[in-house]
This record gives sequence, C-alpha cells and structure tokens, in this order.
Amino acid sequence: MVKEIERAGIPVVHMCTVVPISITVGANRIVPTVAIPHPLGNPKLSLEDEKKLRRKLVEKALEALQTEVSGQHVFE
Amino acid sequence: MRLELGYIQINDVKFGNKTEVVDHTLYVNKEELIAHLSDDDRLAKVEVELAKPGESIRIMPVKDVIEPRVKVEGPGGMFPGFVSNEEQVGSGRTHVLKGAAVVTAGEVVGFQEGIIDMTGPGADYTPFAHTNNVVILADPVEGLAKHQHEAALRIMGLKAATYLGEVGRNVEPDEVVDYEVAPLFENAAKYPDLPKVVYVYMLQSQGLLHDTYYYGIDVKEMVPTIMYPTEAMDGAIVSGNCVSACDKNTSFHHQNSPVIYDLLEKHGKEICFLGCIVTNENVTLADKNRSSNMVAKLVEFLGPDGAIISEEGFGNPDADLIMNCNKIESLGVKTVLLTDEYAGRDGASQSLADSSPKADAVVTAGNANEVIELPPMDRLIGNSAPADKIAGGFDGSLRADGSIEVEIQAITGATNELGFNKMTARGY
Repeated sequence: MVKEIERAGIPVVHMCTVVPISITVGANRIVPTVAIPHPLGNPKLSLEDEKKLRRKLVEKALEALQTEVSGQHVFE
Repeated sequence: MRLELGYIQINDVKFGNKTEVVDHTLYVNKEELIAHLSDDDRLAKVEVELAKPGESIRIMPVKDVIEPRVKVEGPGGMFPGFVSNEEQVGSGRTHVLKGAAVVTAGEVVGFQEGIIDMTGPGADYTPFAHTNNVVILADPVEGLAKHQHEAALRIMGLKAATYLGEVGRNVEPDEVVDYEVAPLFENAAKYPDLPKVVYVYMLQSQGLLHDTYYYGIDVKEMVPTIMYPTEAMDGAIVSGNCVSACDKNTSFHHQNSPVIYDLLEKHGKEICFLGCIVTNENVTLADKNRSSNMVAKLVEFLGPDGAIISEEGFGNPDADLIMNCNKIESLGVKTVLLTDEYAGRDGASQSLADSSPKADAVVTAGNANEVIELPPMDRLIGNSAPADKIAGGFDGSLRADGSIEVEIQAITGATNELGFNKMTARGY
C-alpha cells in the first residue's frame, strides 16, 4: 500500500514496529512505533502519558511527511 | 548430558477400571483421570473422550497436544516448572507412551482454532490423526480471567499427560534409544573432523495464546540461553499457543522435535551437534534486536560451522528469523532456515514478511493458505461453530451438512516448522 500510494505521487510515512520489514518492502519514510499489538499506544502508561506518547508519534510522522528524503530513511 | 528413551508402543486406547498399559493398549480409568484434573478451582467441569486413528471424529478447537512420558531415572520430572520442580532435566531415563497423545480441546481462550480430523483428507495434514488420543475438555468457572483460563487448560493437559505417562514407569519398553551430547570441549574433541552444528530454536512469545515456556519461565521474559537437546525430550519446553494452529509447535512437537532427533541421529557420524540456543520472538523491535544480538553472540561463543534456525509462526516472527540469519551469517557461519509460507491461496504472493540475500538455504513446510474441504464427520468433540471466525476460515466456512472449507492454516500442525509433517515445496 505504501508503495502504490507513493507511485501515485503522494508521499507516505510508514509508521510501524518492525522497521526491518518496512525497509525490506521499500518504504521511504519510516517512523518506528511501540509494539506489534499496540503500535501507537502503550497500555503500561497512564492515560495522560499515553496521550503524550501518541501525540509525539503523530507529530513525528507529520514532520517526516514534510521532510525531503533521497532514499529510505528511518526517523528515530 | 545423556538420556535413554524407552519407547513403549501404544496401538490402542480404551476406557477401563484401571489406568494401565496391557499388551500395547492404554487403558484409562476415566473417573480417576477426571478427579485428578478437577483438583483446580479454576475449572468447573472436566470431560474425557477418546479418539482413535480412522474414526470419523473431528476435534476442535484444539489447544495443545502432549505426549505421555515418565521420568524413570535421573533428576527431575516431566514438564519442570509446571508439574515437576525446576530440576534440570534431560539426563537419566524416560519412558514414552509412543502412539498415545493427550489433546486439550473444547472451548478454549479467545481464538477458537485448531482442527484435528481423525479420518478423511484433513487427516493427511495433522500428525494427531495418527495417534491414539485422550481428549480433555474443560469449562472454566464463571468470570475466570482469560490468562487464568489459558494457564488452567495448559496445566490440565500437562497433568493429564503426566498421569498417563506414569503407567509406563514399570513397563518394559519395546525399544531403548540413547541420546547424548557431551559438554562443549569434550564434544568437539571427540569429533574433530566433523562439521560443528548448532540449532537455534525460536519460540513464539507474543502474549496471551502466543506464549511458550521454558522450565516454567514465559520465554518473552528471558534472554536467549543454551539448552542440551535432551532437555526438550523431558518437557523443558511447553506450548501456550495455538493461534493459526498449522505452524504452532504443540508441547508434543517440542518433546518430539524432528530437528533435534535428526541432528542427534547424525551426531558423531556426519556432524558434531553442539547443542541448542533457545530464543524468543517478542513484540518490540528492541526485544527483537536484543535477542538476535544475543543469539549471534552465543553462536560465536560456541564456534560452529553451521546453524539451523527454526521459526515458530509467521508474520513479524519472519523478521526475527531474518535478523538471526543475517547476524549469524555475518559471523561467517552458514545458516539453514526452517519456515512455512503464507503465499496466498494460489501460492503466487510473497511467502514471508521479510527476506535477505543471506537467506539462501531455506526449507519450507508448505503454504498455509492452501484451501481444503473437510467433509462432515460422524462425531464432533468440542464445537465447530467457530469455523467461520478462525484464522484461515471465512464467512460460510462451516456448511449446514457439517463440512468445513478452510485454509490448512486452521489444522493443528499442518505446516509445522520443525518439519514434523511430510509437506514441503521445491523450486526448480
């Protein structure tokens, strides 16, 4: 899906836990996430801290979307 | 470490007044077994049924399958950390009721999958169509938390296998086989001219119904460690997982891993088998990195020429498999990977979620997406209603006549990645 959307000229950020798979499938903008059962959250945190974590991840993804890349790049 | 396995061939299973083995038939005192298993306040009701090869019986959903064994000599007992204490196992003598199995089935936790057909086309895909099965079904008490329900069923199966195995203690085995791997330096000195091989044994460890245990430890909580091959024969590794049942190792598979038995068969003849590295498949990238780094470190420390790596499951564990492969190959150690495939129903899609040019020797146990039609059976043990919702099932899988159209993904052990089955795929 990442590659097909990019082929249509729309930049994509792939937010995922297993970065090596994302690299293998050919995503260009990769934002690492938390864990496979809960990529964008963390049930161990308080609701307040989890919200902060989620906001941080989304902001990082939005920033990645606006960043020029010349190849595959992982936004740590 | 040296273990003698005494194989007692079991050709039939029947209910009887006394639990015993007589002339290769296992007799089971049903009431006594139920009473033994009912001693768990998490379980409301326990039932026992028998299912033999060739009978028109469908068992589903299946949680685990366990082989009855008993420790006759040497330290510890079966399933250390669960029904026996944490003593190191894998030495002395163990008796095996070969041809018998305990199957835990019925309403299990969460995902209701795992099919065993004792006859028909489905029987070709599961090894447990060919064992004499003592099937245990249990209802939990009302309101029991899911993880407690899983633990209760898991331990119930181990207790049943231990109870049945005990009757083999004083039976003269039909065959006794010695298995031995010496400590590292002694082992390597014995066979200086043979290529040295280690086995990297990957275990599913992704949460409820996706967990595996080593001496009672949930393996997602441990770092990779070294195991003598014979430890697995005494139940050191226990399954807590059955989702997408085709490529999950039941406890029976761990007791009987063909990788271990075949490497031991070739040990001292074609290869020098150094031992096993037990590792996990966790859900965070940090854990995957840490575990694969430690696996590579242990491989380097042992100094083999080659490593065999088996995966359990599919999807993100493909990443663990490839990380182990890349890091071990980078040490100059050759690898062979054992996996299965999710290549779509026509077999034309990408088989694994991850890959590497270093993974140039791969053995597959088959395509889990292959579709099969399972005809109706005369008797159902458990419940077939979940067929539409299981992994590999779809809306309409279960038909009015009781037949099921499903991917072989739903059949217990169909594409087992320890190579327990006969299926593979070859490229030409």
